[in-house]
This record gives sequence, structure tokens and C-alpha cells, in this order.
Amino acid sequence: MNRAIQVRGLKKSYGSNIVLNELNFEIDKGETFALLGVNGAGKTTALECIEGLRKYDSGTITVNGKTGIQLQSSSLPAHIKPMEAVRLFAKWNRAKIDFTMLHALGVEETTKKQYIQLSTGQKRRLHLALALIGNPDIIFLDEPTAGLDVPARVSLHGQIRKLKSQGKTIVLASHDMAEVENLCDRIAILNHGNIAFCGTAAELTDKIGEKYFIHIKTRQGNSTFETDNIEDTLISLLDELKQKEIHILDIKVDRGTLEQHFIEMARRETE
Amino acid sequence: MNSFLYGVALQWKLDLRSKSLLVTCYIVPLIFFLLMGGIFTSVMPEMGSTLIQSMIVMSVSMGALIGLPPSLIETYGSDIKKVYKANGVPIYSGLVTMFLSAFVHLMVTCIVIVLLAPILFEATLPTQLPFFFLALAIYITSSLGIGSVLGLTVKNQAKLTMVAQLVFLPSIMLSGIMFPIDLLPDFLEAIGRIFPASWGYRLMLDNGFCFENLWYLIVIFFAAVIICGIVLKKQKEK
Repeated sequence: MNRAIQVRGLKKSYGSNIVLNELNFEIDKGETFALLGVNGAGKTTALECIEGLRKYDSGTITVNGKTGIQLQSSSLPAHIKPMEAVRLFAKWNRAKIDFTMLHALGVEETTKKQYIQLSTGQKRRLHLALALIGNPDIIFLDEPTAGLDVPARVSLHGQIRKLKSQGKTIVLASHDMAEVENLCDRIAILNHGNIAFCGTAAELTDKIGEKYFIHIKTRQGNSTFETDNIEDTLISLLDELKQKEIHILDIKVDRGTLEQHFIEMARRETE
Repeated sequence: MNSFLYGVALQWKLDLRSKSLLVTCYIVPLIFFLLMGGIFTSVMPEMGSTLIQSMIVMSVSMGALIGLPPSLIETYGSDIKKVYKANGVPIYSGLVTMFLSAFVHLMVTCIVIVLLAPILFEATLPTQLPFFFLALAIYITSSLGIGSVLGLTVKNQAKLTMVAQLVFLPSIMLSGIMFPIDLLPDFLEAIGRIFPASWGYRLMLDNGFCFENLWYLIVIFFAAVIICGIVLKKQKEK
């Protein structure tokens, strides 16, 4: 069985509000998969249904492997110390404490502090450590870097990459497009309870169309041009700059970031 | 079992770190004991024979009805419950460990009262100590049962403060520890009998350990177990 997770016809409503409308997708073992969507798109509800934390109305969910879960909003007793929480969770999971993992996540550095005294980043890393205690095959991370500063975010990304290199299946819900683009093999974009797209970032680019972004840096400033016809636009831009005797410092062409594609897809869905 | 015992020991430590539980289980009951013990025995020296039981009823009621429920709301009314559920910690473990930990804290306070009252206020020790401590354990268990129901069913701290006071105050005022229950009007005496404090008080008195004073506390405890079980089952299935 190469599938870690299989979701078929997943439906969930709150009263008349349909949050998930027949979701279908699979996640392979060892894959890093992202659920994207604007606020209220149903990411957390979908994750919690798959994690077994929320009842759903209909559909089938198959999860092959032990799971570790880092929730979007997590908390622990105010006065518990990180290592006490680690020991408690390890004992209930009958798992040996992986001190290498704790060290890598920086949990050992905070042993003297109580939970209430930890920074947001330290709390996030502790909750990730708790999710990893039982050595899970599948790890769910719901907005793992929300509210973190840049160093904490970079550190957590490093940890996620390490987990990926260990062959773990990672399911990530995030708002951070750069994070998703850097870490994930495939993405699913949720919109009004439906999957608007499921595939790789390159496939999303193809779906959006042949759109290019030309970034030009001059002494006068930076400009970005969006075009479907790279050749003609580039030639006319260069001609124009030459005529105006504007000196080019740098020029870059790309096919857009995941964020730009996501915004485009959301715009199309709304239309 | 190992994980469960670790959970109880850890909860006991967490309780000691929590100022609110220290206040409700130790500081306020013991200050009340030191002040009121002196006043009661000075004004009415005959109260020395029931001082230990009276002060214990006050301490247990405060710890169980005002001290325990906020800790339960902290866990079951927040994301802590979800984190436990998500990562293999049984949902009942929080309630059971907090219950047992509070039991130990209250027992410690009561032992301090039993030890100090004869020395400080010439209070009379219960004549049958084994029965007294058995009655005390049953009374603490029953009171913690009510505290557990409050902590699991009331949805927020603000409401809880009000509801806990509505249970605590009549419990104390109408239990017979402040003034003899015979002096109360019939309807207040009847209301007093709804709360376990009056039953616990009578059960702990010399020659009070009998089925007549015991059955209600047992009923309260089992009712609390059933209610807590239903609430936790609902939370698990949510």
C-alpha cells in the first residue's frame, strides 16, 4: 500500500453551511502535501476530520500509519515544564524519548521555563516535539509557522525538511505560499469546501497559463511586468529603455510565485 | 499504569505551582481555621468538640467547589483537551489526575487541621480516628465529585465563579458548622441537606459513621461519576 491517506467524498456541514463538499484526494507515503486556502476555506476542518478529531457527515477516510498532530491552536497547562509534557506524552504513547529530536527542536533549552513563560516559537517547537513523540509515520501540521519570527520560521522549516528526508508523510495546512512552495511536493487548494486544484506547483503554473513576470532593476527603481508573450514584451521593453537611455542594472524573468498563482486562481474561482 | 501514576504526580506538582489552588486548598482554609478556630472556641468553648469537623467541612468545600473546577475548565474548556486527544493522552486522564491530586491536597490540609486544632484551641480529637478518616475520605470524594461536575459542565470561568459560589455559600451556611442546624427554619434545613457538607459533617462526628449519614454522599459521588462520564463521552465524540 503506497497511499498514506485516501479521502473519498468527504462531506461536512455546520447546519446549512457546507464546509467540505465531497473532497477527494490521496497522499502518497513520504510525500509532503499542503492544503491551501483562504480563511474559512475548510482547511482545518478537513485536517481535523482526517486526524479523527472531528466527526464528518459522509465519505471515507483511510489513514495508513501512526499519526502525530500539531494543531493550529494548541495549549498545555500553564505551569507545566516542557520536559514534563514530553515525559507525560511519551509515557501515554509508550514511546522512548528521542533526545536528538528534542535537542534539534530546542526543547531542551527551555526545560526550566513553564509553558506560560515560553515564547510563541518555543511553544510551536514544543508542540511539534509532542506530535513527534510517538515516532509517527504521518505528521499533520496546521499552520505550523503562524505567528513566528523569521529565525524561528527558518528553524522550523529546517525541521520539516529533516522529517521529509526521514521519509515521513507530512500534511501541512498553511497560508504561507513561500513555505508551501519550498517544502511541499503537491498542493491542494480548497475553495468554498471544494478542491479547486490538486497537483504540483508546476502543474498549477501550467493550469493558470503561460504567464511570465519580468523584473527589471534600474537606477530609477524596480518594476515588474506581467505578460503572456515573453518574447515580444521583452523586446519592446528593452527598446523602450534604450530609447529613454535608462541603464539596466538587473533583469530577471520567472513564471510567478505560488502566491501569484494562488491569487489568480482565487480570482478566477470568484469570477 | 506507569503513565497514569506519572500523570497524578505531575498534576500534584502543577497544583502546587498554581497560585489559585494553593490559595483555595491551603492558604484560605488554614487562615480561616486559625481565625475562626480562635473565635469559635472563645465565644462558645463547647465548640471545641466539633471544631475539627467544622473546619474540615469549610476547607474541603472551598478546595473542592472553588479550587478544583477552574483547573478542569483550563483543560476541558480549552485547546489542551484537543492536544491531549490528538496525541494519545486519554481524555479522562485530566479529570482523574486532577481529582486524585486535589484529594491528596485536601487530605493534607485536613491532617494539618486535625494536628493543630488540639494544640492551638484545645479542640477534642475524634474518638474513633479510623472511622473519622474513612468518613473524611468519603466526604472529600463526594465533594470533589460535585466540583468535577461543575468544572466539566460550566463553560467559562466567569460563569463558574458565580455557580461555584451559589453551591459553596449555602453548603457552608446551612451545613451546621456555623450554627446548629436545629436553629434553622425547616426550608433552609431542607436546602442544606441538598449539599454534601451537612452529610459529611454529621458523618465525621463521633458515632456519626452510619448508613443514615453515608448513603447520600455515595449517591452524590456515583451521580457525579455518571454525569462526568456522559460529558467526557460527548466531548470525545464531538
